[in-house]
Amino acid sequence: MLLRPHASLCVLVLIAAGCFAQAGKAPSVSMIPVGPVTAQRTKQTIVDLDFRVASGFHINSNAPKSEFLIPTSLKMDPPTDIVLGRVQYPAGKDLSFPFSPDEKLNVYSGDFTIKVAVHPLRSVVPGKYAVRGTLRYQACDNAQCFPPKTLPVNFDVKIVKEPSQGHRNPAQSPHVHN
Amino acid sequence: MSIDEQPNAPEPEQPGANPDFNAPVPPPVRGGGRNPLALVVVGVMAAAMLYFGFHMARRAGSDAPHLAGKSSVAPDFTLESLDGKNMRLSDLRGKAVLLNFWATWCGPCKIETPWLVELQKQYGSQGLQVVGIAMDDSGKDDIEKFAKDMGVNYPVLLGKEAVGDAYGGVPALPESFFIGRNGKIVDRIIGLKGRGEIEDAIKKALDTEAGATPTSTASATVQPQK
Repeated sequence: MLLRPHASLCVLVLIAAGCFAQAGKAPSVSMIPVGPVTAQRTKQTIVDLDFRVASGFHINSNAPKSEFLIPTSLKMDPPTDIVLGRVQYPAGKDLSFPFSPDEKLNVYSGDFTIKVAVHPLRSVVPGKYAVRGTLRYQACDNAQCFPPKTLPVNFDVKIVKEPSQGHRNPAQSPHVHN
Repeated sequence: MSIDEQPNAPEPEQPGANPDFNAPVPPPVRGGGRNPLALVVVGVMAAAMLYFGFHMARRAGSDAPHLAGKSSVAPDFTLESLDGKNMRLSDLRGKAVLLNFWATWCGPCKIETPWLVELQKQYGSQGLQVVGIAMDDSGKDDIEKFAKDMGVNYPVLLGKEAVGDAYGGVPALPESFFIGRNGKIVDRIIGLKGRGEIEDAIKKALDTEAGATPTSTASATVQPQK
């Protein structure tokens, strides 16, 4: 079956791009953009940060098995009065590699998610805020390792007021009905 | 079937048939002008050229700025070793040198290191000198501990980015350069390969003659930063 000429060219461009990617062998971890996040003041909201390790590469988990390996770590710099809770890293996979057949390394490969708890204080003015940070990781393939890198991490969070509380002691009628 | 090959493709409308008289009329499309097969061939050639062009550029780039590749003079440098002394590569002239760039965080380097220890023992008497260059950002203590744990029996130098740059940037580890007795690079191994491949490259370096001192090292000399 013949494709339309421009469709054929598109396919070829994609093939060429694939060749580039393979030839370049650049290790990459990318962040999948975070959708809209709404967080209520004084309450904790969990934000999922999704990352993707390029095919053929792996990075150390947050808890690698050797003291010399560099753990993947997220460092965030939230705006004033927005507190970030403990970062929850996923468990890594125990895998052995051709360069270390007898030893299993704890790694992330493919897609993984890091969870961050956002806790806006009561003093935050409602509105949209940018939360910025970095993911530090160190990638390897089956035969070589690449120097540690940092990936910018960012997401926006919309802070809303907490719902107004109902009156605990509603006004009583001054009249006494017997 | 390609759309251009449709025998009953409608003719473009005439100006009079177009309800919008001021609208531009597209030129008639001729089906016979484009051969899909020719386009595919051209496309494949373009992709191949892009691929090989990129490969060539990458190879050239990886050797830049000073390193021309095999048979070029190894850029000279002076670096501090773990015992605090300065070591200059050109002081090893007359020996075959295995220059091994590594780091404590590099898993494949951990596999390779015991081989280098064995090879130093095996070929040291014939004039081999293994030299490790640690490209860690971490402190000297980590490097020292790693070297001690691995029983390293050769000098380990504290790497500098400038030295890595002089050797093509060293984008990934491990990377080893095999330098002949005459100071010229005879082989280079990127990534973890077999012990046999390393040994073959060592033999190649040992087989060289200690020639006259090369004169082109000046531009590649790297001194440690004070």
